[in-house]
Amino acid sequence: MPQPIVETRELTKYYGEVKAVDHLNLTVYEGELFGFLGPNGSGKTTTLLMLMGLTIPTSGTATVAGYDIVKESKEIRRVAGLLPEGAGYYEDLTARQNMDYIGQLNGIPKPEREKRIKELLEAVGLERWADTRVEKFSRGMKQRLGIAEVLIKRPKIAFFDEPTIGLDPQGVKEIRDIILRLNREEGLTVFYSSHLLYEVQQTCRRVGFIRNGRLIATDTIENLSKKVAGAEGKTLEFELTEITPKLVAEIRAIDGVASVEQEGLRLYVYMERDRSREVSETITKHGSVILLMRPREYSLEDIFLKYYEEV
Amino acid sequence: MRRFERMGVTIVFRKELADHLGSRRYLVLFALILLLSTMSAYQGVLYIRDRPQAGFMAIFWGAQFGFSFTYLMVFFGPIIGLALGFDAVNKERTSGSLSVLLSQPIYRDAVINGKFLAGVTALSILGVSTITIMSSLATTLLGFGPGAEDLLRITLIAALTILYLAFWLGLGLLFSTVTKKTSTSILMSIATWLLCSIMISIIAALVANMIAPIPMPSGPGANMTRLFESPEYRELIQRRFTIQSNIQRISPAYLYNEAVQAIMGRAGGFFFIGPGGGSPFRSLDISQALTMSWPQITAIAVGLVACFAASYILFLRLEIRPGG
Ligand SMILES: Nc1ncnc2c1ncn2[C@@H]1O[C@H](COP(=O)(O)OP(=O)(O)O)[C@@H](O)[C@H]1O
Ligand SMILES: [Mg+2]
Repeated sequence: MPQPIVETRELTKYYGEVKAVDHLNLTVYEGELFGFLGPNGSGKTTTLLMLMGLTIPTSGTATVAGYDIVKESKEIRRVAGLLPEGAGYYEDLTARQNMDYIGQLNGIPKPEREKRIKELLEAVGLERWADTRVEKFSRGMKQRLGIAEVLIKRPKIAFFDEPTIGLDPQGVKEIRDIILRLNREEGLTVFYSSHLLYEVQQTCRRVGFIRNGRLIATDTIENLSKKVAGAEGKTLEFELTEITPKLVAEIRAIDGVASVEQEGLRLYVYMERDRSREVSETITKHGSVILLMRPREYSLEDIFLKYYEEV
Repeated sequence: MRRFERMGVTIVFRKELADHLGSRRYLVLFALILLLSTMSAYQGVLYIRDRPQAGFMAIFWGAQFGFSFTYLMVFFGPIIGLALGFDAVNKERTSGSLSVLLSQPIYRDAVINGKFLAGVTALSILGVSTITIMSSLATTLLGFGPGAEDLLRITLIAALTILYLAFWLGLGLLFSTVTKKTSTSILMSIATWLLCSIMISIIAALVANMIAPIPMPSGPGANMTRLFESPEYRELIQRRFTIQSNIQRISPAYLYNEAVQAIMGRAGGFFFIGPGGGSPFRSLDISQALTMSWPQITAIAVGLVACFAASYILFLRLEIRPGG
């Protein structure tokens, strides 16, 4: 049974009238790669800031690695790393000097610090740039330095807030690969916040959807997809050689078929129960040939929008 | 755990100090002050050679061309202090390094304390080494050094100079905490500097002229000399002076100047005209000097504490977000 590492209970943050985070109940387990997905302004950053003790919740509680986010926030920052949204570095210092400062602040003794810096710069592919000033770095390189800085404390959990924002596709892939590798090979628990559905789907197994500060659903992408499909019933898409109004009317009359839509030579048949056999028999009986028959696929966007529309 | 808490401040302090000491901004100001103050010490030496009774302290005020040390500090002090503070917080906020820094296991006040202490240390290095270099140069050129009392006065001046520079640092730190952009805080700093070291004396003179105008004798029979020697005229000048200095006391630079003049043993210096209009160089012993300059010193110290406390409180409440 995996142990919870982040647990929030009715966690709430108001900025005046704005409910940035609204009674959030969330559990993240040790070793998982959890996606925190929501559109801009949905409260992801606010949640992460509260979890790291950088902003105080209006109400509710949460623990990270067993520590209370209000009373023991410094302990949390010892065992949890955050790569903040829009993280920055000391431009006139080198990558190594930047990391050394962060290492010192984490109380890592010098020999150990030097060893970790070397290892981590290698792990994020910056070993050649270790002694280059950060001002010369591309965005992608800076972001990789940020990941290395998060890891220098050997965290139990790493929070990444929109880590690929503003990067080119190559940079996005590099960041994603690093994060996936950390999770798989080092067993690092990752809390990955993003507004990009595709990216979360590529990276994370379990996802929490947040909108307007409220958690709408938490599950794996497949299960969420099934749930949407289930709620919708089953839909079949046909492509036929010929469609007559009589055929449409007859399909509609089949018990269990909710509705039929025609689009040129395509038919979309919505069923409450599985009636694929009856529907195809009816079509054949009418002398039309089925060129294509498939269950309607829900794209990720459909799922995403579905969840956002519902609440 | 106490040890680790102190470590946070120490680490921030060390990094910030290294940043200052290696920064072009600091080195340029340091070089400028060093150059101008050795020049003023040299002029002070010439002054002392002409008037041996002036005493060793004259190296700080005896410059006849250009700036004396006090004048240098009145003029450049604000810019030195403000330059080390004006972007301490907002630069890190905009660059995003502050949120990375605060995600480390330290308390938030370690950051502001470390930054402030590093600034004070950099300023102390600047102030103390300038004064030391001036004194050693003068000692070499004159063939005699400061006496025990002079040494005490020099130490007091150094301490007061550090306090004064720290005040400007604190104000700069406050500007950098209340503003999000360094372009705003740099403008605030320049405006403050112009106001406190240049404009204030002009404003004070204008106000004094409005409240107590000097009557211009008119008519063919007017006797200028009679007017200038009359007790009413002298009283008027005294009143104008009082008005002017009270207005200028808004500026910490003026307070600093008054206090340093007193510590140097000069009751009537550049800004002082004795009530009797007598010798401007009535000399004060150290305890007299301290008593006399105590209100000024206190005012600067209170200003420093107020600026730092305000930045400290604001910083602890700062909402750390990307882009400010
Ligand atoms: N300092 C602030 N003052 C007022 N409102 C804020 C502040 N910070 C964030 N908000 C509001 O809180 C909401 C959540 O913001 P945020 O957590 O940044 O969302 P996300 O990271 O998901 O884009 C937004 O509506 C935003 O406008
Ligand atoms: Mg955000």
